[in-house]
Amino acid sequence: MHSNTSIRTSLALLALSALCLAQAPVWAQNQTLKVGGIRYDAHSKSNGVTGIGIPPGADATVGDATTLVFTYEIEVKPNVGIELVIGVPPKIKAQATGSVAFLGEVLTARNVAPTLLVNYHFGQKGDALRPYVGLGINYTKFTGASSPYGWDVKLRDSVGLAGHVGLDYALSKDWGLFASFGMANVKSKLVATGATVLQSTIDFRPRTYAAGAYFKF
Amino acid sequence: MTRLIRTWAPTATVAALVTALVTGCGGGDPPVAGSGEPEGAPTTKGSFTAVVSFGDSLSDAGAYAPATSLAGNGSAPYFGGKFTANSATAKVWVENLASTMGLLVTPAEVGFGTSSVKCPAAANPALAATCTAYGQGGSRVTDPNGIGRSGGALTVPMKTQIANHLARFTSFKAGDLILVWGGNNDAFVQFGAFSEAAQRIQTDAAAGRLTADQANLALFQAQNTGQAAMKAAALELAAYVKTEILAKGGRYVVVMNLPDSAFTPFGSTLPANVKPVLSAMVDTFNLWLKEGLTGLPVKLMDQNAAGKDVYANPARFGITNNTVPTCDAAKIAAITRGGVTDGSSLFCNSTPGVPFNGIRTGADVNTWQFADGVHPTPGGHKVISDFVTQQLKSYGWL
Repeated sequence: MHSNTSIRTSLALLALSALCLAQAPVWAQNQTLKVGGIRYDAHSKSNGVTGIGIPPGADATVGDATTLVFTYEIEVKPNVGIELVIGVPPKIKAQATGSVAFLGEVLTARNVAPTLLVNYHFGQKGDALRPYVGLGINYTKFTGASSPYGWDVKLRDSVGLAGHVGLDYALSKDWGLFASFGMANVKSKLVATGATVLQSTIDFRPRTYAAGAYFKF
Repeated sequence: MTRLIRTWAPTATVAALVTALVTGCGGGDPPVAGSGEPEGAPTTKGSFTAVVSFGDSLSDAGAYAPATSLAGNGSAPYFGGKFTANSATAKVWVENLASTMGLLVTPAEVGFGTSSVKCPAAANPALAATCTAYGQGGSRVTDPNGIGRSGGALTVPMKTQIANHLARFTSFKAGDLILVWGGNNDAFVQFGAFSEAAQRIQTDAAAGRLTADQANLALFQAQNTGQAAMKAAALELAAYVKTEILAKGGRYVVVMNLPDSAFTPFGSTLPANVKPVLSAMVDTFNLWLKEGLTGLPVKLMDQNAAGKDVYANPARFGITNNTVPTCDAAKIAAITRGGVTDGSSLFCNSTPGVPFNGIRTGADVNTWQFADGVHPTPGGHKVISDFVTQQLKSYGWL
């Protein structure tokens, strides 16, 4: 029932997107595609790792990751756009720390993390340099979680606030470069099941550094 | 038309996306094993005609008495036989409970070494249905190689205990109060294996053959191996309850989790860095037992919490000493002519004045909790049977 609803929503969404694209030619330069590199600085913090047989003071930290990022932005009003940011899911790695540091790498996963932001662009069309700020929602889903210790690892999906600041630099009417810095509130409950059950709540608090090129159409 | 779409489409897209993000993909917390509960056990008084008990030494009503033959040839009279301070009146908790219910329970099998007799009470035909105390010292859940088997103990595992009951009585009856309490010996076996591995690892670390991190990792893995075995045993026991007891007519079924043997005189002798490993074995078993029993119509009785309560508040239960065993290892060694040196209560008799009395001078088998390192005195057994009785009443069964 639930998934049906979500499939239907997705279909409706696709139909709407198609409609938007079909209409695109009549809107002059109010859409932007960006492609670039993005660095996730995980900056994570957890409430520790607990489980039967796990000594007190056990913890884990999530490593940084770099991946490709794509964004699509559509102008809804002068200076205001709605932007969808999607990165190629990077592999994130968690390293045991604290009393169980000797375990080394304990899990890997990929995070699919689309972010939808409302951006405000300073300046006006035609300006070479246009700073922008945006605020929105990040959704993070962890997939393919696995552990060298054979644990069955599950992480809760996360929905949280996201924000970024950035700068567009026009090279021509259509093309330009961008750089941005972003933050998101990504929190997930982790349950790793093996001989025992390990639990942790990880606050990823990612900082992202992105840079690349854009194309307006 | 175009104009309308221009202003409307993006807003709708955003709304749809946000809805999809927030509701469609949410998911919820991942499931945590052991967080469910058994469900659907009877809530009405039982018309009990038998107490059927499966387990280990804690529930052993005298399976190994022939090992304590005074004549030394396996024949009666016996000076021991139960894992408590033995006497003509000493009872283990299962016997106490049966007698509270106006019933009698006798050992399902009695013997040692190569000879044993099933249902010896059936020599009196009137008692042929009373031999439903299956617990035996050293028994494990599934593995027939229980503790003491090489020395002659039968250690019939719980799996076989249940099968033996079905072989004799065909099925469980609505009038059976079925008590399942085992896994302690699996914990001791796994803890023993860990301790051996730990010694090797520490020797290697001391000799510089392992770095500190490598040694820690090896210790973690040795412990994890034990925990994995405890998980397997617990899930096996839960499966036997489901497929061999509930599916074969069992209606009033109590499954008890394991007490923490770290809270015993034996546990108190363990080094502080090793003791938590024993607790971890027990806790791992209890976690998976609960997981395995989730949704099944049984009662899961928390002997773990009850045991800790008694250990922390002995006076409330009439216990004045919970640290020193009442049985004197030196006396038992002398009585058995050096055959038993670990002070096992199986060979401990508390009858005053007899030459085979193995009680420590000044000890009291009613107010001291432990007979040996891990087994209760008759006083300790009464604390257990009082708890079980009170729990059964709280279920509405008694």
